[in-house]
Amino acid sequence: MANFVLRRLLVAIPTLWLIASAIFLLSKLMPGAFGSAHLAQQEAGYYSRSDAASHDHSYRQFLKSTGQDLPLFYFSVSSAALPDTLYRVFPERDRAFLQKISWQYGNPDAAARFFRSLKTLEASLTETERQPIQAHLYTIYSHRNASELEEATACIAALLPADRLKHSQILENSALLLANSSGYTFLSPSMQWHGSQNQYHHWLVGLAKGSLGTSLRDGRPVSTVLAEAIGNTWWLLLISVCFATMLAMELALLMVRRSGRIWRSMLLPSLFLLDSIPLFVLAMLLLVLLASPAFVQLFPVYGMGYYSGYDQSWVQQLSQWLQFMALPMICLVLANLPYLTNQFYQSVSAVAGQDYIRTARAKGLSEQRVIRSHMLRNALLPVITHLSDFLPALVAGAVIIETIFAIPGVGRLLIDAVLARDYPVIVGIVVIVAIFRLLSHLLSDLLYALADPRIRTHAS
Amino acid sequence: MKNLWQIARALWQTAPAFRLALLYLVLLGMVALALPWLPLAYTPNELDLDQIYQAPFGGSAVADKPRHWLGTDGLGRDVLANMLYGARTAFAISLPVMALASLIGLALGATAGLYGNRRLYLSRARLLALLLGLLPFMYYGVYLPTILSSQGGASSDFLMTGIAAIGLTLLLVAGLTLLFKQLPFLKKKAPFPVDELLLRLIEVQTSIPRLVLILVLAAIAPPTLLALSVLLVLTFWTGTARLARAEMLRIRELPFFEAATSLGYTQKRLLVRHALPHLLGPILVAFSFGLAGLLMLESTLSFLNIGVSTDLVSWGRMIAGIRTNTAAWWLVAIPGVMLSLTVLALQTFSYYVLQFLQLKQH
Repeated sequence: MANFVLRRLLVAIPTLWLIASAIFLLSKLMPGAFGSAHLAQQEAGYYSRSDAASHDHSYRQFLKSTGQDLPLFYFSVSSAALPDTLYRVFPERDRAFLQKISWQYGNPDAAARFFRSLKTLEASLTETERQPIQAHLYTIYSHRNASELEEATACIAALLPADRLKHSQILENSALLLANSSGYTFLSPSMQWHGSQNQYHHWLVGLAKGSLGTSLRDGRPVSTVLAEAIGNTWWLLLISVCFATMLAMELALLMVRRSGRIWRSMLLPSLFLLDSIPLFVLAMLLLVLLASPAFVQLFPVYGMGYYSGYDQSWVQQLSQWLQFMALPMICLVLANLPYLTNQFYQSVSAVAGQDYIRTARAKGLSEQRVIRSHMLRNALLPVITHLSDFLPALVAGAVIIETIFAIPGVGRLLIDAVLARDYPVIVGIVVIVAIFRLLSHLLSDLLYALADPRIRTHAS
Repeated sequence: MKNLWQIARALWQTAPAFRLALLYLVLLGMVALALPWLPLAYTPNELDLDQIYQAPFGGSAVADKPRHWLGTDGLGRDVLANMLYGARTAFAISLPVMALASLIGLALGATAGLYGNRRLYLSRARLLALLLGLLPFMYYGVYLPTILSSQGGASSDFLMTGIAAIGLTLLLVAGLTLLFKQLPFLKKKAPFPVDELLLRLIEVQTSIPRLVLILVLAAIAPPTLLALSVLLVLTFWTGTARLARAEMLRIRELPFFEAATSLGYTQKRLLVRHALPHLLGPILVAFSFGLAGLLMLESTLSFLNIGVSTDLVSWGRMIAGIRTNTAAWWLVAIPGVMLSLTVLALQTFSYYVLQFLQLKQH
């Protein structure tokens, strides 16, 4: 048995690794992905230079502390027209500019030197010197062809004192840039090897040790954020799946009885109808009907209530929790009932035609006894598989339900993280969901093997 | 095609629910197509701030304006116009997405089912060369064009990379194949496990629930309609692929198919002329089931306001309007009923087609 579990785990780990890696790398590859919120805050004070410098410094600090100043992967392939160290240039608009000029002139060395002297020049300017050449600087940043750049540097050279220009060597470097430009450098690739000092390696090592990184929004560890949220989701899912399973089983047993024709003709169409109502519509409908002052206010509307802590006994706490969780649970149960009932009914009615059922009836057993002790036991096997297949739908349902009812769980955390583009949290949630699914598969395999000796002997 | 037409005609005559569902879908499609010529008093994004939260069938609050027949939302947008244009958006997104996803799923699933794990023989040299040829293709065919388009490259540059992508890849593959064939291990032909590969791919993709996957990817991709459609296609092909593979495995064992194989027809002819007509029915079922799922997913996403822009007219957006005022029941009832009816019609349709197909088999 242990062998079986181990093999199953070994097969599942590559899948987990593949998905988590793909999402991690994709989230890092997108432009503007990392710390763009931090960047946006600095944009406001960009032109007051002392501020810009200190902001730049703190931004670098932020990147260094979160490990984002490292290259992304073990190696990188880029066009030879782009500088090797592009990822080290911050802030992002500077990086975009450097990328643009080196792409445009096809010479990364000259472009980097020109960029550096431009930055030195800008840093050495006083406010009064800056005023007249502001427009020309802007032209340099946004120019489209070489003649515009030439003209703008010439104008700046005419307006500024010579020692500034000499110090930054901007004229020499712009001449160099213009002279050494070449057309199709971008066609040849260049490859760099970064070794293990890269973001992906650090992330993967952390993941193997059980650390998921820190949230970009509030700097807390992702595992703490997840641990706070997971309890609510867990109980919501567990209780609703238990209710839904029991209800579905009872309904299926009602329908399979000999006298169950009336149940069949009533239940099957209404379940079919219920199945075509999307979960969020169902939840909103129930919310409007049962929890709004305009109709019937049976349940409180949003959230989890206030935790008034010490003076309540656990019974009171539980009853308050149930009050808030009742409607979300009803929604989840109702939404998943059609699929489950249908599966149960099919597996039960497949058993109902078997010979041993006829024998049991011929022995004169009561209908109740035939169903409960002869039919149910054999029909349960396929149901186990359906239950584990159906867990992803449940997780997706939890996302919607938690958002609508403002329950602070994993689903709501996911929506918030997606809206804020908080990638470490998103990757963490993906890993958690994949592990959850893995465990449910494992559990169903185990149950299967426990229930059916043939599988057990076959597996080992 | 003839096959599908026969199914539809037989069902039309026997099942009244099927007739109803089909009529509803056709009617909805016709209304959605004819919308620009319909005499609607308001456009869906027109704000009417004098009349917010108007209940349906009420009189006009402002004398000289036309009535809002089905009420308005919190910004005074007309519910009737939104409902009709919402149908248009829903189908405009989900039909092409599902068509493309079905096509991809059909191609991959049928190939996997036909060749199985040991019927497609490839020489190892060719396979290795193809894998290595992927590298220059990725660089010249994918990486450079993306940078070029972000830097505003000229069309001559694009032409250059295109030529480099195709030319270099072909050259590399041909050259490497010749080279590798000198080695005895690589010279041999080995079965290529198409089936196993497809199943693994599907398994990896479905290990994350679809909604979660789409939400995560929507956080990474830019929030445009095109990006969302690509995401949907990438997550929806698996269902069709699974079904097509299973059907192909079944068809492969049928006597007529064995006869065709023993006559020595090419694999392509077997696939297109003999298997495909039998695959169309099940694919139709998967298509309409998938369409229903897609409609639900698309409206859920616009309800959560993720992956779509807020000025996209849709049913989900209108339903989201009720979260600011839970007394406005018509904002959830009217588009909700519309959405559920459409899903119901699609599911009824596919249910009857499926039943018909199963009946024919036995």
